[in-house]
Amino acid sequence: MDFGLTDEQQLLLESLDEVLERECPESYIAELDLNHQPPTSFRKAMHEAGFMSLGFPEEYGGTPVDAMTLVLLAARTARQGLNNGYGLELLQAMDIIEFGSEEQKAEVLGLLAAGDVPFALGFTEPGAGSDNAAMATTAVHHDGVVTFNGTKTLITNALQSRYLLLMAKDPSVADPRQAISMYLVPMDAPGITVNRLEKIMWNISDSCEIFLDDVTLPESCLVGVKGNGFKQLMRNFEMERLVIASQCLGLAECAFEDAASYAAQRVQFGKPIGQFQLIQQKLTDMAIKIENMRNFVYKTAWMLDQGVPLKSQGALCKRYCAMAAFEVVDEAMQIFGGVGVTVGTRVSRLWRDVRGHRFGGGTDEIMVHIAGRQIVKDHS
Amino acid sequence: MKIVVAYKWAPNPQDAVVATTGEVDLSRAKPAVSEYDPVAFELARRLADATGGEVVGLTVGGPSIDTPLSRKAALSRGLDRLVVVADAELEDADGTRIATVLAAAVRAIGDVDLVLAGDSSIDVAQGQVPLTLAGVLGWLGLAAVSAVTAADGGLVVERSLPGGTTVVAVPTPAVLAATADAVVPRVAGMKDILGAAKKPVEVLDLAALDVPAPGATLATLATAKPAGGERTATIFDGSSPAGAAAQLVGALRQAGAL
Repeated sequence: MDFGLTDEQQLLLESLDEVLERECPESYIAELDLNHQPPTSFRKAMHEAGFMSLGFPEEYGGTPVDAMTLVLLAARTARQGLNNGYGLELLQAMDIIEFGSEEQKAEVLGLLAAGDVPFALGFTEPGAGSDNAAMATTAVHHDGVVTFNGTKTLITNALQSRYLLLMAKDPSVADPRQAISMYLVPMDAPGITVNRLEKIMWNISDSCEIFLDDVTLPESCLVGVKGNGFKQLMRNFEMERLVIASQCLGLAECAFEDAASYAAQRVQFGKPIGQFQLIQQKLTDMAIKIENMRNFVYKTAWMLDQGVPLKSQGALCKRYCAMAAFEVVDEAMQIFGGVGVTVGTRVSRLWRDVRGHRFGGGTDEIMVHIAGRQIVKDHS
Repeated sequence: MKIVVAYKWAPNPQDAVVATTGEVDLSRAKPAVSEYDPVAFELARRLADATGGEVVGLTVGGPSIDTPLSRKAALSRGLDRLVVVADAELEDADGTRIATVLAAAVRAIGDVDLVLAGDSSIDVAQGQVPLTLAGVLGWLGLAAVSAVTAADGGLVVERSLPGGTTVVAVPTPAVLAATADAVVPRVAGMKDILGAAKKPVEVLDLAALDVPAPGATLATLATAKPAGGERTATIFDGSSPAGAAAQLVGALRQAGAL
């Protein structure tokens, strides 16, 4: 079994390190976090260096890469301490590249090239999230137009996005799996109201409620096939779980490095606290969890690249990495003691940001729901 | 215009281990294109694009400098092709020997108008090789180059020197050593990295280059870390910004820094 990186992966990671060093120092991330701003200049630099089109087909100016390479890059970016810094936009754009019209593709790829977030994913509702059958937002097609009504909530990056990739159902279709369609809706369309939700984490990514009140658009805003919206969205869910797991790995590595360095420097009772076995035990268990996370992420990426059906693997990986990463970051904060909770200490930001991954992209509990059903099915 | 970029495949200082004695151990450092050389790659690429020329990478050293990774690392940074002289005899060779071999390789490449190099290598950091190379070739050699553009029959070169900036007309052929901050080198993207594997590489045999044997070789007798400057660690009262600034200026004057 070869755990080594290819030459290309090594060189690409070195290139990413150069971009991170130049465009994404800790001072930049801390300022974004403090001011609740998105990393636009970093995204632009990533685009200029060719990272924002990795995985896209060549006809759209992209360079196809395997899942392993993408997770390596996502984890490395997160290891810099930047949450949601790389990877998720690519997955969203893949939805449009795969299912969108030529006009939609040109618009979305153009925004991505400019360092902007092309669209927010309008999926979660006050009464529906993982339970997509309960979706209440409607899309009624009539006279060559479509009218939307409903409320979305906890929509990430809505304020930064030019469009909403809206999931809405046709109320005349009973089967929820065939009722939901995908639409690319301009955020400035008449009838859309956005309300920012103040939260204690993911400061660089805004979270919003979106109210759709008789929003009427030409039917050309439909993405893909009417009624296939959920199926289309599911296409990238496995990869999304893997990218989130990779981010958890990188953020945990970042916290571990900070904690280990602090333990080597912080002197109490005449010696660095890292020389006390209680601290060494924490660092040892953190290192074990990180190693497990890395192996889980790499194995899952390898399965995707080999075309091995993931079944429950993606959910298992996401659940384990989100939970283990939070345990690592929590212990890192414990090693820092009171210093760790002061504003401006990186570990406090990592602690806040990693916590969000235990529900973002599917809660720990929903991962059990997905994986558990599959495990029982496999043994029935 | 045919431009050669002379670069070093050197240990990456990010992997250096610094002992408490100050000794720097690079033995376990992963190799990479020496940190200051990508500036030369970028200057060469821009000049070649402006003049319709070719950029040839050139590196010499021990056998470890020629691997698939080292080739791709260099070729992904804007080179059109690569020339390598890798020989056990050149392991740990001193700067004069390296410059002599580089000169022979430049002659073998032929019709070279310009050799560009970084300011110095990241591991040895003597900054000697580019100008020694110029001397061996019998060409004009200039260090501290912060910009270079093509002009009628030659080059216009800007130099950043301690006394200020100088702009000079330079006839070709010439050897130029760029400052570390002359330009911001581009980052190699996936397309560049994948494309690197398809670019031509020529391996020159050291023996066939007929390089004269070195007249003398160096033997390192001792090394010591630089003496640290004396630090006063003065802390000023910052309750009044203007007062703190006045105290700082006074202290700097007293120390003879102003």
